[in-house]
Amino acid sequence: MQIMARTSAVPAFLACLVLLALVLFNAGLVHAAEGGDVDFLSDDFYEEEPETISVYDPLEPMNRAIFTFNDRAYFWVLKPVAKGYAYVLPWEIRGCVNNFFNNLQEPVRFVNCLLQARFSDAGRVLARFLINSTGGVFGLADPATRDLDIPPVEASLGETLGRWGVGDGFYLVMPLFGSTTLRDFSGTVVDALAMTPYYSWSDDFVVNAGIYAEKEVNKISLHLGEYEDLKELSFDPYVSLRNAYFQYRRRMRDEDVFFEGE
Amino acid sequence: MNGESMKRIHPLILALLLTGSLLLVASAAGGTTTSAVPDPTAQMQPFVARITNLLQNEDFRNDPRCERCQQIIDIAKEHFDFREMSKRVLGRQWRKLSPEEKDRFVTLFTRLLQYAYIGKIKDYAGQQVEFTGQRIKGKRAEVKTLLVDRDKTIPVSYIMLLKGDQWMTYDVVVEGVSLVRNYMEQFREILRKEKYAGLVKRLEEKIHQLEQEKMQEMAKPSRAG
Repeated sequence: MQIMARTSAVPAFLACLVLLALVLFNAGLVHAAEGGDVDFLSDDFYEEEPETISVYDPLEPMNRAIFTFNDRAYFWVLKPVAKGYAYVLPWEIRGCVNNFFNNLQEPVRFVNCLLQARFSDAGRVLARFLINSTGGVFGLADPATRDLDIPPVEASLGETLGRWGVGDGFYLVMPLFGSTTLRDFSGTVVDALAMTPYYSWSDDFVVNAGIYAEKEVNKISLHLGEYEDLKELSFDPYVSLRNAYFQYRRRMRDEDVFFEGE
Repeated sequence: MNGESMKRIHPLILALLLTGSLLLVASAAGGTTTSAVPDPTAQMQPFVARITNLLQNEDFRNDPRCERCQQIIDIAKEHFDFREMSKRVLGRQWRKLSPEEKDRFVTLFTRLLQYAYIGKIKDYAGQQVEFTGQRIKGKRAEVKTLLVDRDKTIPVSYIMLLKGDQWMTYDVVVEGVSLVRNYMEQFREILRKEKYAGLVKRLEEKIHQLEQEKMQEMAKPSRAG
């Protein structure tokens, strides 16, 4: 098997186990306030007595430092690069690149849907993958959404662990990656490792890093200006982004529940 | 994927497509409408049309001083309840304020939002607003829309309260992120560390900063010219 042949996969796998163990251990200790469904029409949603901070963020000083680093990296390096990239490539092509990387991840989403017992979502992901890989020419286009009305489904290991009762642990800001939590980041690492058979176009670290960089720059080029807006309008961009991250994530995951349940 | 397994999977895809679309139809039909109260979407549509018409007007967008920005603010005030917004954004602190302090805070918070969004007028490039559904629960309503841009679609929800026979928006939810909740968490931390006086000071500074940026923008030659 391809993965076994790679010596580098073994330490990475061990690192994952350690991370997972940490998360599972942590699960018993910390209960993140993930609570019920979001209902904007309920007054509980704008609860009036929030004495405690809504997010468990014990590493705030470290997170803030990495946040500042990411902020600089964005304005000094990533944004200029993404701008040049956007200037050279029309948005249609950048959209295709985005679709392509998205499509590669569908098998991982499929497995996670199964692990979460979201069987109709799993079917939807599978259908998307088959349709987009063939009709969409290797996933460059997304006819599943456009023509057949099968919208993208999100599923990650972080979410799977959440469904299994593993708490978030705590909020984390990772260099060049951004907002996440201990649980979700561990999930991301494992999800990414599960993708390694795909990335065996090359065993070269530089090539793989290049692929990752292309994927990220492409993503940024499609979202230029969004971070600037958030930063301009906020009093504490760190808190604002942390809050936005949790609200956004909650919507993503609740919406899946909504489709499942109704 | 070889041809044979494709063939085997094909009926499965069809079945999935069918269930998928049935689910969508079912959830669309589930939206409640009560005839006794005015229709929130019907009230929102002409408002959005008026704003987009104003924004599409070339003279309006190229006017560097934005003398007619007041027009937009006036229209917005007919449909947005800035007082309700301020109340919710402050949470518990609101009840501790004197009536004068409340008025002062509403004025400041309204100005902050005005600067924040008026500044975005120049970026408007013909994006359209699609109304995708609504939900009514007592005196509250949520109107769901999609802001359709060239290369992306952004879901925006308006959360409203029925005042008389007018639905007034008190929160805007962009991609699941509530504006009120986002400010609320930021303000909560400022209130804890710097008390209410500190928050007012921060608001005044922010408004001043946005004002300065707008002045600089005006000093620059217009992009269109």
